[in-house]
Amino acid sequence: MTASDSMADAQSLDVIATGGVQAILRRPKWATLPVLLGGSVLLFWIITALTVQWWAPHDPIAIVDTRLLGPSLDHPLGTDALGRDVLSRTLHGATASMPVAAGVIVSALLIGGTIGAVAGFFGGWTDAVLMRFTDMMMAFPPILLAMVIAATLGVGIRNAAIAMTLVWWPGYARLLRGQFLAVKNYDHVIAAESLGAGRTRLMLRHILPIAFTPLLVLSTMDFGGVVLLAASLSFIGLGAVPPYPEWGSMISEGSRRFYDWWIAMGPGIAILTVVLAANFIGDGVRDLLDPRTKS
Amino acid sequence: MGTYIARRLALMPLLLLGVVTLVFVVSRTAAADPIASLVPERLLGNEEVVAAARARWGLDKSAPEQYAVYIKNLVQGDMGTSFRTKQPVGHDLAERLPATIELTVAALAIAAIVGIPAGIAAAIGRDSLVDHVVRLFSLIGSSLPVFWTGLILLYVFFVQLEVAPSPGRIDLRALPPDHITGLYTVDALLGGDFRQAGDALHHLMLPAFVLGWAVMGIIARMVRASMLDVLNQDYIRTARAKGLTGRQVVLTHALRNALIPTVTILGLSLAALLTGAVLTETIFSWPGLGSYAVESTRTLDLPAVMGVAILGGSMFVVANLVIDITYGLIDPRIRVS
Amino acid sequence: MVTRRFGYLILALFATLALALVACGDDGDGGDGDGGGTATEAAAGNKIADDQKPLVIARAMDTLNGDPHRAFCDTCQIYISAVYQTLVALDHDDNSTLIPRIATEWSASDDLKNWTFKLNPDAVFSDGTALTSADVKWSLERLANLKGSPSFFMDGVDSIDTTDEHTIVVHMAAADASFPAKMNAPYTAIINKALAEANGATGGDDAETTDAAEQWFLSASAGSGPYMMESFQEGDSLRLVRNENYWGPTPKAAIETVIIQEVADAVGQRQLLEEGAADIAMQIDPDTARGISNAGVVIQSVPSLNFVYVGFVVGTEGAVGSDIDLNQDVRQAIQAAIDYNGMIEVLLGGDGRKQATAIPNGFLGTANLPLPERDLEKARKLLASGGYPDGFEMDAPYWSTNVYGVDFNLMMQKVQADLTEINVRLNLQPLEASVIFADLSDNKVPFTAIYYAPDHPDTVQYPQYFAMIEGSRWSGRAGGNQGPIVSATQQDLYEKALLTDDLDERERLYDELGREMISDAYILPLANPNLILAYRSDLQGMHYSGCCNLELAELYRTTD
Repeated sequence: MTASDSMADAQSLDVIATGGVQAILRRPKWATLPVLLGGSVLLFWIITALTVQWWAPHDPIAIVDTRLLGPSLDHPLGTDALGRDVLSRTLHGATASMPVAAGVIVSALLIGGTIGAVAGFFGGWTDAVLMRFTDMMMAFPPILLAMVIAATLGVGIRNAAIAMTLVWWPGYARLLRGQFLAVKNYDHVIAAESLGAGRTRLMLRHILPIAFTPLLVLSTMDFGGVVLLAASLSFIGLGAVPPYPEWGSMISEGSRRFYDWWIAMGPGIAILTVVLAANFIGDGVRDLLDPRTKS
Repeated sequence: MGTYIARRLALMPLLLLGVVTLVFVVSRTAAADPIASLVPERLLGNEEVVAAARARWGLDKSAPEQYAVYIKNLVQGDMGTSFRTKQPVGHDLAERLPATIELTVAALAIAAIVGIPAGIAAAIGRDSLVDHVVRLFSLIGSSLPVFWTGLILLYVFFVQLEVAPSPGRIDLRALPPDHITGLYTVDALLGGDFRQAGDALHHLMLPAFVLGWAVMGIIARMVRASMLDVLNQDYIRTARAKGLTGRQVVLTHALRNALIPTVTILGLSLAALLTGAVLTETIFSWPGLGSYAVESTRTLDLPAVMGVAILGGSMFVVANLVIDITYGLIDPRIRVS
Repeated sequence: MVTRRFGYLILALFATLALALVACGDDGDGGDGDGGGTATEAAAGNKIADDQKPLVIARAMDTLNGDPHRAFCDTCQIYISAVYQTLVALDHDDNSTLIPRIATEWSASDDLKNWTFKLNPDAVFSDGTALTSADVKWSLERLANLKGSPSFFMDGVDSIDTTDEHTIVVHMAAADASFPAKMNAPYTAIINKALAEANGATGGDDAETTDAAEQWFLSASAGSGPYMMESFQEGDSLRLVRNENYWGPTPKAAIETVIIQEVADAVGQRQLLEEGAADIAMQIDPDTARGISNAGVVIQSVPSLNFVYVGFVVGTEGAVGSDIDLNQDVRQAIQAAIDYNGMIEVLLGGDGRKQATAIPNGFLGTANLPLPERDLEKARKLLASGGYPDGFEMDAPYWSTNVYGVDFNLMMQKVQADLTEINVRLNLQPLEASVIFADLSDNKVPFTAIYYAPDHPDTVQYPQYFAMIEGSRWSGRAGGNQGPIVSATQQDLYEKALLTDDLDERERLYDELGREMISDAYILPLANPNLILAYRSDLQGMHYSGCCNLELAELYRTTD
């Protein structure tokens, strides 16, 4: 019995066991409180990233008021050292962080996934060479590699994104390679092969759909990690360029004006909520696929 | 098992060579010319001076030549001279390493002291309040940007409450203890000066706590998962069925087995610790490898960057090796692949 | 139940940890906020003659270079002027008159080409050996031969003779009235030849390639100044100890040990200062200073001779804006578009002044120069006549630094905001020092921001660096790949000023030169920041030093 079979069973059990009101309020097993919470927060930020330019209270780059004002009704998160509205800047920060994180993960999945799939499928020398290269990349403390790449490429979000992608793909490569190694020996794959299916078809139609699942879990959980790394790079000065309101660089500005604590507060909470939400969802996805560890 | 270890150890130098090559290639694609850190700004227009500096620092050779020279020196233990500090990179690293070790070990200790019992409690009391609280805290801990936490805590404890000490490793006016290991706490104790050891410890606490907090969560969750695994095993159920009380079960059977992968868990935290160390050291003006790495990458101090990469890479590789060996000991299937 | 007990255990652990942090109570001196209220005058008590308590200076240290003939940074200046001595000193009351130090008197030949310095026979180094003309000759020649950052101080010197043990004569290629003033710069330090040579230093013509003492200079000093180097830990601290063999001419230092401690930002510095853990905080910016109200701390805002500016490079390639013709009209347009008043307000909270041209307020010739004003009308007209009525886009890479209380990131964002009003759009690129200077010399930077501090008290250094004359740094830089820009008018004025000893005439000439530089508009000074002196109230002797940033030997503490 596969994981998905027992899931289906459990679900139907749920429906049978709880009748009446419960049946009406019936919600899928995965929709636990943390997942719903995380999902709505993430949804909020995604929508913000897409639409904020139309509803933010102020222009994030314009100087709108006296500098270094504390939180007030006009400026719920106060103003920064130049007199810009911190709340608007924080909201606008999503337009950088969300797409960048998504972009990095998708790119890393594509690059790492391809390398891992090829290595796992073909085995032998291909596998050895590709995996040694992957090992080499993984022998690095990630932030160090990201720093070096970002520093050599130059400042800017785009270069930081490239740096992060290069740091992230080895993990996916390793994972997918292991999966491919295992799944390629499954009965249905061997059967398809003996029926004459070509390599590409085998990889894409037969192996990948099964092998991909852990990757999905990992990448969901990684979303938060990428946002954190991006903020860290900006904090050191290797990411977004002023006056762009990126969360990490906002915290960096705020760290130099300690006593005006509100400047760093907005972006910090923003990062916390995004990463927490991503982690909740990641947890939920993992619990869904590995019932032993959930409550 | 022996051959597995031997094979991995034999691969290590190759891996490190790969790391060095990787950093070399990456850093040589830098758009900026390092010559500006070697020649005084006023003389950058002077052809003679620039050429002389290039020759002196070996920058006039082609990239493959520079690479060969670097490797040749490296195997003799010479990591070159830092463009920024003008000191040998090896000397710089040796000076900075103890500070980072002190910080990381302290952070790990704090993380383990809090994380391990928390994980155990969460596993035992599955679904209870404790479980949810622990999971929530660990999740929050690993979701917070380390540099932000550091700033908030600095603000609260240093600025408002005024209980945290000054930045740095010991009191500003004090002389550091005589150098034996470079770890101020240890050196002070070895020298018999308890007050100084206490001072060093006091300075260590906030940065170590900030760094440890990020890892605490990871440890708690891993311990919890490991305990849950063990608690679900047949032999535990058998023990319970035999009538042993819950506590006996935990203390005698489950705990022992669940903690076997502790080394693994601690090793896996290393990655998070190293990342966190870079940022933590920057905030607390802690003169360790992390802040050195930031300064070096920012100023494109190539020899220093290579040095940090080699050192960081080695530590990482060794840690991964230890983890894999431990896994190999537990699960023989892995050794084969 | 097992769970509950474990749960309580966890809570207890958390509580203990929190308590431990709080209870590991006060550190050393603890808070010093008795009485509160505003900062008061420094307590005038009795001087402590032999002060054993170390003096702690909190600052963000630049990467220290201990070799005075190679160094060129602010922290280096403080260190070198405490540990080494120069031929002449500066009178603090006016920060411009030269007074004797190693040299007791000096005079020039009639053609202003040969300068004779008589040395004080009492002068000795920290190890007790005598300081003679041989040391002076060797040191000055080494300064020139090392071809390091400060070597330009010896530009124009042909040779040096030692007529006897206590006299040297400097022969210059061309007349130079400003030479003695240059001998005040800390980098013209006189080094103990014997000691330095024993540790790898060389001073001959090949010094550039043979000198090997750079590392040694980070662990020891070889000077005659009031302090000596005790130890240096990169990224951490620099410790100086009093030179017991100090000969003068000023009295021996009162404070025995001085520690310069790395504290990266103003906030940390402020906290240490308020607690008493640090005696001086060197990079408190005006905003932070305003927040300090502690009876134990003195805050003084004094005019300084430093300034921050933006500059143009007309001959670049590969950057956005390289194809823009940055002619005089365009430059003047940008000059008129910047909100100078706002700049002083935003960057310095009002603690600073505008500056007319690249010669700081207070130097000879600046008294009557017109200060810049914002005029958007004029700016737009000039931009149109310059050929860009619809504005243009331009890269603006700059050194991402924080100096004299000015955050360059903030400054450039303000400039960027100002210029959008005339539709000039800047692409800001904050960079590290080595990167920006490399790019500048590669002619990739059309517009950037830098700062400048005086090297010595004579006005001549400014045209020598900023004016469009032969050999000036900015003449070469501003031209970029089009070659140096030389203005015959400016060249003429500069040369005349060098030749005359008449102060009034020099003032008139520099005034004219200044006006030329304003209309040239290659260099636009944005602000002349005040210096914030922040120190404990029991400390005396703090003042702004035109040459050396901070003169350690003059500091002493008083008892209440």
